[in-house]
Amino acid sequence: MFDAQVVLSPKDSPRGKLMQQYVCVRVPRMDNVDIGLFEYDRYNTLYFFILNADEQIYLRYGGRDANSQDTFLSLPAIELALSKGLELHKLYQDGKLARKPRPKPVFPKEFPHLVKRTFAAGACVECHLIGDFVNVHREEDGTLNKPQHLYQSPDFRIIGLHFDIPKGLIVKDTQGAVKTAGLQPGDQITAINGETVYTFADLQFAYDKLPRTTENMKLTVERAGKSLDIDVRLPHLWWKTDIRFRQASIDPRTYFDSLPLSAERKQQLGLKPNSFASEVSHVDAFAQMMKSHELKTGDIIVAVDGADTDPLADTAEFYIKLRKKAGDSVTLEVLRGDQRIKMPLQTYRMSFRK
Amino acid sequence: MQLRLFPLLACALLSTALSAQDEGIDWLSNYEEARTLAKKTGKPIFLEFRCEA
Repeated sequence: MFDAQVVLSPKDSPRGKLMQQYVCVRVPRMDNVDIGLFEYDRYNTLYFFILNADEQIYLRYGGRDANSQDTFLSLPAIELALSKGLELHKLYQDGKLARKPRPKPVFPKEFPHLVKRTFAAGACVECHLIGDFVNVHREEDGTLNKPQHLYQSPDFRIIGLHFDIPKGLIVKDTQGAVKTAGLQPGDQITAINGETVYTFADLQFAYDKLPRTTENMKLTVERAGKSLDIDVRLPHLWWKTDIRFRQASIDPRTYFDSLPLSAERKQQLGLKPNSFASEVSHVDAFAQMMKSHELKTGDIIVAVDGADTDPLADTAEFYIKLRKKAGDSVTLEVLRGDQRIKMPLQTYRMSFRK
Repeated sequence: MQLRLFPLLACALLSTALSAQDEGIDWLSNYEEARTLAKKTGKPIFLEFRCEA
């Protein structure tokens, strides 16, 4: 358990010696936290900031994926972060580090739906609830941008970027878009679009801020002692990451998973090449319990409410998540064996969480 | 229910371990106290948010 390994670091260990040069604080409740200053993907179970008493944030540490809360966490890497934090603090004290404007304070009590669910009910303001309810408010005021706000913290592996996690931002392997751009194993990423980054969390935070329409980004790397800029052409849907672990965030709920059909399969079935036709790969038990739909594994969904293409969606499930609201009813056109059937689907909001 | 209780139990055990361990790092649980101490000592702050997600 990474949390315990960090918190219980012995004083005489290399990590403990670094940590004794800090004031260490562990905050398990978000009730009074300034979430404007401490902005991060709330679905991280653990997240660290290194900052000073003037609330200048030097760097972040954290990051997770759908497989585990610890995928991107490593004790050697957090030691690197702690060392870098001390270096930056010395620079700040010596007046050699530019002061950044402090973000506007924002507190959980400013979100009425969150207050009703937590403070008013005497319940803990858990990190992920903040993420969920901020999105509920965005949905209500029309500012929810699903690709940006639901598909958070895009996975770098989608663009072929693999890190040597214990070594921080050292590239371990490259494929796809970053390989084509010229990134190489052993490179150390130092900036994204000109913004300096020291940790995986710094990079992921900056990457997540990119509008989902972004087509190019510049990575600055150190290679053999020299600094080099690499322009990366981002592929279509570079931001579409596995968000199933954000179970309470993903509304509307549809209680099935689907996979895109291959080009050959679409051709065989007489479907458009750009159709979001997709094969149902999993049906959640809740589908029957909630009377949401009667899909079966192997069904092919070819249209939703008459639509069969979308500039972003590559599956019917993705189309519903992007284009429909929780509570909407839709009509699916489904191929099952030799039959083409119309089937109602009722979407839901995860009401017991929100 | 067991899934909900496990993190609480883990937190309780960790808290017990923290208070019982003399050789460990001193951790505060209040951010403003940490800021005040950082001002007084000139040290930077190492802040952890631990949440059940």
